[in-house]
Amino acid sequence: MNIDSQNLQTADSRQIPPYPPFTKGGHGGIKNSSLKLSKLRRFVMFSVLIFFLLQFFRVKALVGGLTGSLAVWFVRLIDVFAYLESLLASMDFTTTALLAVFPIIAIYIIFGRAFCGWICPMDYLFEVIGRARNYRGIKPKITPKIGYGIAVGLLIISGLLSVPFFTNYLSHLTNLFRLLSGGVFFAFDLPVEPTVLLFSAGVISSLLILEFFFPRLWCRVLCSVGKTYGLFNKISLLRLKFAKDECGGCNLCEQVCYMDVKITPHLDQPALRDINCIYCGRCVEGCKTKGKLIKMKF
Amino acid sequence: MKFTRRDFLKASILTGATVMVGNGFPILENLADAAKEEFMGPLPDIDVGGLIRPPGALPEKDFRAKCISCGVCVNVCHVMRYDAIAVAGFNPPSPPFNKGGMGGLFSKRGLSGILSFGTPYIKDMRDFPCALCMECPRHCPTGALQKVEKEKVKMGIALIDFNLCFGWNGDVCLSCSKACPMGAKVFDFYHGEWGNQPYINENCVGCGLCVKYCPLGGSAVKIVTKKQYEKIKVPYLNEFKGLLTMSNEERYNVVYGQNLPQIMARGRLVEREYR
Repeated sequence: MNIDSQNLQTADSRQIPPYPPFTKGGHGGIKNSSLKLSKLRRFVMFSVLIFFLLQFFRVKALVGGLTGSLAVWFVRLIDVFAYLESLLASMDFTTTALLAVFPIIAIYIIFGRAFCGWICPMDYLFEVIGRARNYRGIKPKITPKIGYGIAVGLLIISGLLSVPFFTNYLSHLTNLFRLLSGGVFFAFDLPVEPTVLLFSAGVISSLLILEFFFPRLWCRVLCSVGKTYGLFNKISLLRLKFAKDECGGCNLCEQVCYMDVKITPHLDQPALRDINCIYCGRCVEGCKTKGKLIKMKF
Repeated sequence: MKFTRRDFLKASILTGATVMVGNGFPILENLADAAKEEFMGPLPDIDVGGLIRPPGALPEKDFRAKCISCGVCVNVCHVMRYDAIAVAGFNPPSPPFNKGGMGGLFSKRGLSGILSFGTPYIKDMRDFPCALCMECPRHCPTGALQKVEKEKVKMGIALIDFNLCFGWNGDVCLSCSKACPMGAKVFDFYHGEWGNQPYINENCVGCGLCVKYCPLGGSAVKIVTKKQYEKIKVPYLNEFKGLLTMSNEERYNVVYGQNLPQIMARGRLVEREYR
């Protein structure tokens, strides 16, 4: 959705003070916002990533990757979709894996799909690509619900092959961390297979190319990890809340949203429970009311 | 002078060319070195028979189904400073004697090679054997690696190449038995005129420490999977018994005629062990 002069004119005709002019900067650069949610979000993402990178200096802070990891020496964690795939592939129920997936479920019952916006490193890479492209990509009209069909299909393939298919081959998280650790191992002449590096680099770069032409197609439709966390949005404690009286109908919140969440139809409702909302807080920042209209609240 | 994009491209190509000529493209050279085989491994006729999994692994099919390729075991091994575990590609080279190698993008192992993509295995036992610290099964989040005692680990079994081993060819070596974490449980010695002949019995856990500490260039010990061992058990045991019951003259011919020239040739290349 292009941010062009027309939208601003309609905003003016409704006698709403004009939003600070959009500059070059990705998804309609948000400037002069008093809320620093974007910066906080990046801080969280980079600190998680740095804790993961510490393992290459032989520090056991967070070991593994975002699919499965070991936190502070003894807490084992597994991504929910990876757990489902592994469960279907092995057809065997173990307490080890259940104990590992339970903390993750607990966290995302509280925070909903916040994983995608606040922790996933691909979100940052995609934003960088978005900045380079200046948001001129094609937005295919695909309903995100197709993603659930894809997720179920992947689960069935995993069951048939008895290998966690998406997680082992296609997952952006697995491949990103494989690439990082493989690169470090390769540089220090430790055992690593260059083919694995090539494969992972191929997957990551093809995702970036996909992002260049179809903005957020991966996040909105294809990524099954995000879709699984999206289910938590229906019951999560964190959600977007509205104060409808403040709304001037400028539609800026929908324009800055890169997950294509339709916000305005939900203004009557007490809270937004869209499967695609990643709680990035761009609508909160982008809103002219500076946080009075849209709030992220528990 | 204006520095346009074209200039930048020219400059970068020039710099790249200089670096390539100067250093000889270090990364590619590294790869080529890795692909080069320094020695024929021990027991070249016997295949490893799959991947040597980290300690405590479930049976192959269950392991593949459970493993989500998260990299906890790989990185825990790195944190523990052993670096034994690597991630398998489509066509993983067989441990212990394929040091590096590209592996190839297309699987020679067929479907099992493709399905085992991304799973952990012990890649290079000659330089990075498993030290049986048992941290990876303790930390595996999926239960693909399960907690076991050190003695009950079944990663594989070590086979000694009787044609290359110093102990079987008139010498006293003992390196493998000194390196072995299981010691007397695993090693049987048949002392005789032709050396202190070591034999590794079926209690072996397959950690590969003997592979690393064998002083012979390229090692005289090979780890194969338990499954493969069941297949090659009979000829291997026959060879072993044949050597023990051989007459002195025959044995002289075997040792001085066949084996010692091979061992001496490897001895000249053995500096890599002391680098």
